[in-house]
Amino acid sequence: MYRVFLSWRFLRSRRTNLIGVFGIFLAVGALILILSIMTGFLEETRRSARGSLSDLIITLPPYSDSRRPRDPAPVLELLRADERVEGASAHLGWMCILTRQDERSLRILVDSQSSEIAGIKLTGVDPATEDDATEFRPSLDTVGRDENGDIVAPRLRVANLADPFAAPPEYDASVGRPRASVIVGEKVMTYHGLRRGSFITLMTAVPDPASDTGWSAKKREFVVAGCFRSGENEIDLERVYIDRGQLARFLSGVSEDDALPQDSIHFSEVLVKLKDYERDAEAARAAFGAQLFRAGLIDESCSIRTWEEFREALLGAIENERVLMGIMLSLILVVAGFTIFAILSMMVTEKRRDIGVLTALGATPRGVLVLFLLIGFWDALIGALFGAVAGTWMALEIDPLERKLSETFGVQIFNREVYLFDSIPSVVTPLAVAAIVIGAFVCTLVFAAIPAWRAANLDPVEALRNE
Amino acid sequence: MSESGDIVLCARAIVKRFESGDSELEILHGIDLDLRAGERLALMGPSGAGKSTLLHILGLLEHPTYGTVDLDGRDAWSLSTQERARLRNRYIGFVFQFYHLLSELDAVENVMLPAMIAQSRGEFRLDRRAHLAKARDLLSNFGLAHRLKHRPAQLSGGERQRVALARALFLDPPLLIADEPTGNLDRDTGELVLDLLFRAQQERNLSLLLVTHDERLAERCSRVLRLEAGSIVGAVSGRG
Repeated sequence: MYRVFLSWRFLRSRRTNLIGVFGIFLAVGALILILSIMTGFLEETRRSARGSLSDLIITLPPYSDSRRPRDPAPVLELLRADERVEGASAHLGWMCILTRQDERSLRILVDSQSSEIAGIKLTGVDPATEDDATEFRPSLDTVGRDENGDIVAPRLRVANLADPFAAPPEYDASVGRPRASVIVGEKVMTYHGLRRGSFITLMTAVPDPASDTGWSAKKREFVVAGCFRSGENEIDLERVYIDRGQLARFLSGVSEDDALPQDSIHFSEVLVKLKDYERDAEAARAAFGAQLFRAGLIDESCSIRTWEEFREALLGAIENERVLMGIMLSLILVVAGFTIFAILSMMVTEKRRDIGVLTALGATPRGVLVLFLLIGFWDALIGALFGAVAGTWMALEIDPLERKLSETFGVQIFNREVYLFDSIPSVVTPLAVAAIVIGAFVCTLVFAAIPAWRAANLDPVEALRNE
Repeated sequence: MSESGDIVLCARAIVKRFESGDSELEILHGIDLDLRAGERLALMGPSGAGKSTLLHILGLLEHPTYGTVDLDGRDAWSLSTQERARLRNRYIGFVFQFYHLLSELDAVENVMLPAMIAQSRGEFRLDRRAHLAKARDLLSNFGLAHRLKHRPAQLSGGERQRVALARALFLDPPLLIADEPTGNLDRDTGELVLDLLFRAQQERNLSLLLVTHDERLAERCSRVLRLEAGSIVGAVSGRG
């Protein structure tokens, strides 16, 4: 009986215990808050990476000597026939250099230190089927929104969501030769100072067996139909969407209105969206590989990867950061534990006489050990409980809190433009909260065990002589 | 206070040595001592004679180098730590010179402390009312009815010692060990505390082992043992 009773009394009688309690409160609260934000970042990144990549990505390098069909139709047909498949769409990707008729393009080209880049990934998509496999259309609809969800810069969006590659109203088709439309990433738009209806020139090289070098240069002028925002920095900085047929025409060197030559490059990858990714991803990948290979639609140069493998480096880096952050923040717990160790050590020294009295009255060394361990336990219980509540609340309310703080102090704490998130992502995982609370208890009790052990082994006679 | 009463405490050939550098220092040289039920035994001697060490050994707080201490018919120093602590809790009441009350507890709580140690949480809860009534009765009998909720810092020296006495008597132990119980009190207060101590001892037929320098106090005991340089050099009968 005395252990619980006295531990609580000793705790209440010494205000310095509050320092230990506060330390644990702070550590638990901070750990929950930071890990929730990091988990939010991870999930948000996974979501945006998944949105642009679909579930499975079949890469088919368009080598000129390949006997594979040039048209994606047979591949798409085979894939869409599988009941596990929600939708599939073909892409044609090609690296290009983007320039404009102004000094900015020259500045970007010559400035080796510039974060603005001229190299872009021109991605040919089929607007009719693209949404079956990716979050293409939603990315056109999330351009430049403010905190209320209102569109900030409607002039940047595509004019017609149903036909995104339609010529924008700002473009006068009667001026000069006809031009195909492109949809550029939000960052490309900003860096190159583009508007809807702007002209850009794209330059690239294509394989050309007739040429001395095996390559020939291609360039063509396009009109900007609008911009998209995927939420993934790399994509919004480097990607430009174009109708797949128009990209094939550009690479083949035929005019925008002409028919595609049979030997032109039609597609370089196929994106597949599964009905249940978690359940079917591995089995579907193996099955599609075998079926496509048997049908002669892919060869050894092709690969089938999941979207996670495609973004392995990025997701791995964020996960790694999350773990590292967790480990580093756990040091706060160690510091809090050390504070409890110091406070309890001081208490044992001050309570030497009381420990002697308790022993004289019949307390066992084990009882004294438990008594001081219980003081650590109360510290952990109060600190971890309040820390968990405060940390969870802050993690859930981080966005309005940040806005309020930014407003109060006139400083932008979280730059939404840098991270391309409309709000600070935060996901509270009950399991993580439980793990942090348990960690706080273990850490506190380990640190409390040392002074408690010392108290239990005090010589009662020495303690009673301590006047 | 019967001379022929049952033996409550029986110590035989108590030797205590301390290591002092390379040599050993023998503090007690084979002490034999019996204490009967209801007997008041005073232990006297100059400072450094080994009185406190002997008291601590008999009170099961300090291990003798050799010798046995029989309490309740058992060799106390051959028991496990757990059993010895239980024996100390149930069998011995301590009164210290410096009271040794816990500053975080009020007078009633201090008095109930031996019961808190003896019982589990559930047991204590069941007996709580009875314990509270007993602690209040004890303190009221010692003239502290108006001090029940006071903490040690709010009590005078005499009041603290009376609380300590109530605590020692709370579980009705057969043996009371008092180490200079009036050594820290003025004459009048000391007399008051002694009267209460002896009255309680008499009423409950307790065995009392008292360490004191005070000849007048020793005279009130039934037997006086003189300890010098670790040996008993004389035993006389007192008036008590």
